[in-house]
Amino acid sequence: MNHSPGLVSRRSVGYKSLITFTVLLIAWLAGFSSRLFAVIRFESIIHEFDPWFNYRATGYMVQHGFYKFLNWFDERAWYPLGRIVGGTVYPGLMITSGCIHYILHTLNIPIHIRDICVFLAPIFSGLTSISTYLLTSELWSRGAGLFAASFIAIVPGYISRSVAGSYDNEGIAIFALQFTYFLWVRSLKTGSVFWSAGAALSYFYMVSAWGGYVFITNLIPLHVFVLLLMGRYSERILTSYSTFYILGLLLSMQIPFVGFQPIRTSEHMAALGIFVLLLIIAVLRHLQSVLSRSEYRKIYLFGVIAAAVIVFTGVVILTVLGVIAPWSGRFYSLWDTGYAKIHIPIIASVSEHQPTTWFSFFFDLHILACSFPVGIWYCIKNVNDERVFVILYAISAVYFAGVMVRLMLTLTPVVCILAGIAFSNLFEVFLKEDNNSNTFAHKTISYVEDHDDNSMEKKNLYDKAGKVKFRPKHDTLHETRSGIGSNLKSVIILAILMILMMFAVHCTWVTSNAYSSPSIVLAFHNNQDGSRNILDDFREAYYWLSQNTDDNARIMSWWDYGYQIAGMANRTTLVDNNTWNNSHIALVGKAMSSTEEKSYEIMTSLDVDYVLVIFGGVIGYSGDDINKFLWMVRIAEGEHPKDIKESDYFTDRGEFRIDSEGAPALLNCLMYKLSYYRFGELKLDYRGPAGYDRTRNAIIGNKDFELTYLEEAYTTEHWLVRIYRVKKPNEFNRPSLKLSERILTPTNYITKKNPKRRKGYIRSRPTVIKGKRTKKLQ
Amino acid sequence: MKTNRCSILLILIFYTICLTQAKIINKNVERSLDISTQLVKELTKITATNSDGKPISVYTFIVPAADRKNLAFIAARDENKKELKYTEKVVDGNHQFSIAFPKSTATEVFTIEAVYTKKLIPHPSQIPQSGKQLVRYEGNLYLNSLYETKSQKLSVLLSSANILSYTQTKPFNVASNKIKYGPYENIEALSNQSLVIHYENERPFLTTTRLERIIEVSHWGNIAVKENLYMEHTGALLKGSFSRYEFQKDARSGHAIKSYKTILPASASDVYYRDTNGNISTSNMKVMRDFVELELRPRFPLFGGWKTHYTLGYNIPSFEYLFNAGDNYQLKMRLIDHIYNDMVIDEAEIKIILPEGVSNIEITTPYPVKRLPNEVHYTYLDTVGRPVIIMSSKNLVENHIANFNLKYSFSKITLLQEPLLVVAFFFIIFIIAIISIRLDFSISTTHSHKD
Repeated sequence: MNHSPGLVSRRSVGYKSLITFTVLLIAWLAGFSSRLFAVIRFESIIHEFDPWFNYRATGYMVQHGFYKFLNWFDERAWYPLGRIVGGTVYPGLMITSGCIHYILHTLNIPIHIRDICVFLAPIFSGLTSISTYLLTSELWSRGAGLFAASFIAIVPGYISRSVAGSYDNEGIAIFALQFTYFLWVRSLKTGSVFWSAGAALSYFYMVSAWGGYVFITNLIPLHVFVLLLMGRYSERILTSYSTFYILGLLLSMQIPFVGFQPIRTSEHMAALGIFVLLLIIAVLRHLQSVLSRSEYRKIYLFGVIAAAVIVFTGVVILTVLGVIAPWSGRFYSLWDTGYAKIHIPIIASVSEHQPTTWFSFFFDLHILACSFPVGIWYCIKNVNDERVFVILYAISAVYFAGVMVRLMLTLTPVVCILAGIAFSNLFEVFLKEDNNSNTFAHKTISYVEDHDDNSMEKKNLYDKAGKVKFRPKHDTLHETRSGIGSNLKSVIILAILMILMMFAVHCTWVTSNAYSSPSIVLAFHNNQDGSRNILDDFREAYYWLSQNTDDNARIMSWWDYGYQIAGMANRTTLVDNNTWNNSHIALVGKAMSSTEEKSYEIMTSLDVDYVLVIFGGVIGYSGDDINKFLWMVRIAEGEHPKDIKESDYFTDRGEFRIDSEGAPALLNCLMYKLSYYRFGELKLDYRGPAGYDRTRNAIIGNKDFELTYLEEAYTTEHWLVRIYRVKKPNEFNRPSLKLSERILTPTNYITKKNPKRRKGYIRSRPTVIKGKRTKKLQ
Repeated sequence: MKTNRCSILLILIFYTICLTQAKIINKNVERSLDISTQLVKELTKITATNSDGKPISVYTFIVPAADRKNLAFIAARDENKKELKYTEKVVDGNHQFSIAFPKSTATEVFTIEAVYTKKLIPHPSQIPQSGKQLVRYEGNLYLNSLYETKSQKLSVLLSSANILSYTQTKPFNVASNKIKYGPYENIEALSNQSLVIHYENERPFLTTTRLERIIEVSHWGNIAVKENLYMEHTGALLKGSFSRYEFQKDARSGHAIKSYKTILPASASDVYYRDTNGNISTSNMKVMRDFVELELRPRFPLFGGWKTHYTLGYNIPSFEYLFNAGDNYQLKMRLIDHIYNDMVIDEAEIKIILPEGVSNIEITTPYPVKRLPNEVHYTYLDTVGRPVIIMSSKNLVENHIANFNLKYSFSKITLLQEPLLVVAFFFIIFIIAIISIRLDFSISTTHSHKD
């Protein structure tokens, strides 16, 4: 407050909280409303795949109560194995929306659980931006916090997982993540048990919500470790980490799915190791105050080395003994991007597990991707305990985001924080003097623009009034620039504002175009009259299943559609998106890639009643089962290498073709037949040839075939979903076996047919001679 | 003693009725049978005379017991289309409908309209996708009557000229989709001659197996109507597989139900058409002058035996249906509404949700329905709950679309309860916030950290 008199400062406190409140409110509203594209364009509906399971589980919990939910054995999934749902989910999401539902219903507000599920993620995005604000203001300044809050409210990297209807763990987990970090930083700064217990509670919520809690449980120990290396040990660290670790450990073990993992898996060992290390250092510190210097040095060296050795060998021995589980495959795939492709094809087959492209960094972060290194630089320049944390956070998140597209999500919050710091500093430098003229100019500009700029403009006001902490550093800068004059400054400010405005535009554009499709309802624009058509084939098929099949019917499909079938059609599935049993999935893959005859054996052994395939050849939908087919083959090959070989499905030249030059194994496999059954007769337009596949731009190779073991039960309007009924053994004429395929070879039978070796020979059988009366036996 | 005397008296009365009735003869009977849809609509015009010239006070129309479960609707009207009252009783396995004439004369001319459901049996009961739906009608060629009939005629209207077989009792005459029987002279009472017609009927055989209609009345000017419908194609079952290719190639695909039209009140707004999976995007709404026509297309075409379920809802302004005199209100609405032409509803449950604080509820229905015990419904800002009146009925057809009359009293001041509740709630919240901000709850003074 060195440049504002006391009177102004007292008044500015009121302004400050008003501005903070307004900016956060606007950020919440903007974040909420920019997530509503899908609801406005389509309807209030659950999106994609996993959300359907979460929705179904939530519905179950609301209907049957929490304890029934924890004990829920879902016999409709993974037939015939079933799935213990209560013990294999992170229940935080369901509990959150279940609580909201419960509270609203006790207040007689009859909101359907679906609407709560749909709008949960957008509402939590507001909480995320508030916790980002809190974290950033702990790290840097409240001005930077407001920037960060506004950024995270609309940044596409986070919106991609939290649009309305995307009812997934990540929607609430990012809030929990940010809030835990905020409480951790707060507790580290204050060294108070209260805040670290709060951090542990928030960590507990995070554990209950998302498997990504492992990120916290490794990042915080890493932070502590680095602080120790930097010689920044303090009593505060000891207090907050030990409280956090013990409470967090105990609380996290309360989640049935996590159970004893925190003390038995390698992923969690770092936290334990750091805890032990911290205690040892604390003991040594204590000794230091008791012992003389030379004595202490010896003990110190010895103690540190001994501790490190003991911890390390302890972990290794326990791992070897099998008490501690070794690193899981998913963990390895984080370090070696090629690992999953070789060892776990099922992980590699998911598009969101692919390495991130450079394009998607820009797509998801826009200007923030460029400005967050600036934020890191500022943090490194002015390093303190908590800024070490954000630096580590940024570095690890950048690495993980590079490995998997999906982990862009953990990068986004830290990018927002650091970009907030960067922009806050930029404005601090360039807006500090000449308040009157500049702010007036910006006011008029920013009112025209989005809320984001609005909020930022207000922050500038606040920055000038309140934030003077880093002023001295830039004073020199300012001195040199003052000669250039205010015009250059305003040009720069304008340019930054322009960039931020473009950021807002980009965010809205990306959200609207890339992340707001429910993916179960497809929309396309008719080129002729510009009207919007809706392809509702998925729901058409699922609804048909739910209404017109037996309640216990078992439906075989590729695992992608398992959750949707269970959620929308309420029927039993063989495999679903919870890909816990690779061999079961491989069996389905084998059935899909074998010939009809062989897969009939598999299907009867699995009691399959219906087979569902997705076929996009009529409308040119590229995400269909033929395009996914190679993954089915690969996964099947992994478990049944004798029966299925990937190379059989390629042509001699190594191409995957569905036309007449395609590999015979492909043209005769079940998936091909089910996709193209009677498609060979269909003419999509008058001039085109029959059986032209629009997705793969080829005329199909195998046109005239009949199905023996299955029959078409239903095909949706645009042929997108095709459902076949598996016939019962008495319903079809078994095709005659070729002579060579018979197990009882007929030749064998004929040679043995001489009177002496005939089976079932009656000794005293009367010989019958034609035309003569038989002798009567006495 | 008393009961004995009573029963003797009743028997005596019954005998006298029988005696007087025995003299009635059906001078002329003209029956027309419309079996062109899934319903059997029978319109019988009877000219009855009393042979001894005395005025006819009661005429008894009979329906065989086997047909009673199919009989959805019956009404008798005199020459001026005025409704005649009747009472129903069971005698010798037949259901007798005794029609009373207010101004009895010796010769009465009246019509009896009867609608039967599920009397047309698909034959064969399973057809492939490209097959034609053939149905059989079985009935009585003559009028089921307690009285002798001098002369009677029967004309049958079919849905198509494709008639596979029909009863050939002379005289008869077939012209395209019409068959005319008779006149038959001097038919004895209770005579039965079977009439069997096997013909093609491609009209939709769609049944609403269950209808849940919820009418929610708000005194803020809106009535919300919501209908949960369970539909089933009750015609010939689909045999073998469904082929989308065939279905697209042959757009006609006779017996499949692709869409149907529902007629809503003219003032209906905010119409929604959804099911458990969300909105069904395949519907069209046309606003006409005195009704709203809604073309509903189920998510999938309905073949024989296929089912679907959906919810249809809309809002209507209450001033058109709710009338009041002071604190006494009267709600006049349709008990059931149109779903599709020639509809059949197997089972209907109607719920009327009235505002909170309603008393003296009194309901009159156009035809007898089963009244279930009232329930209480809670919605936004409710404290004591809203009374719900529940009625149920079975086997309904279009002729049952009629208004009910619900009277209740409601004091207007109660309307203010809910806004006041909200105001009070926010007031308390703010008061708590104001107080709690000004108090210090910390156990020790917080000290700011050092960087």
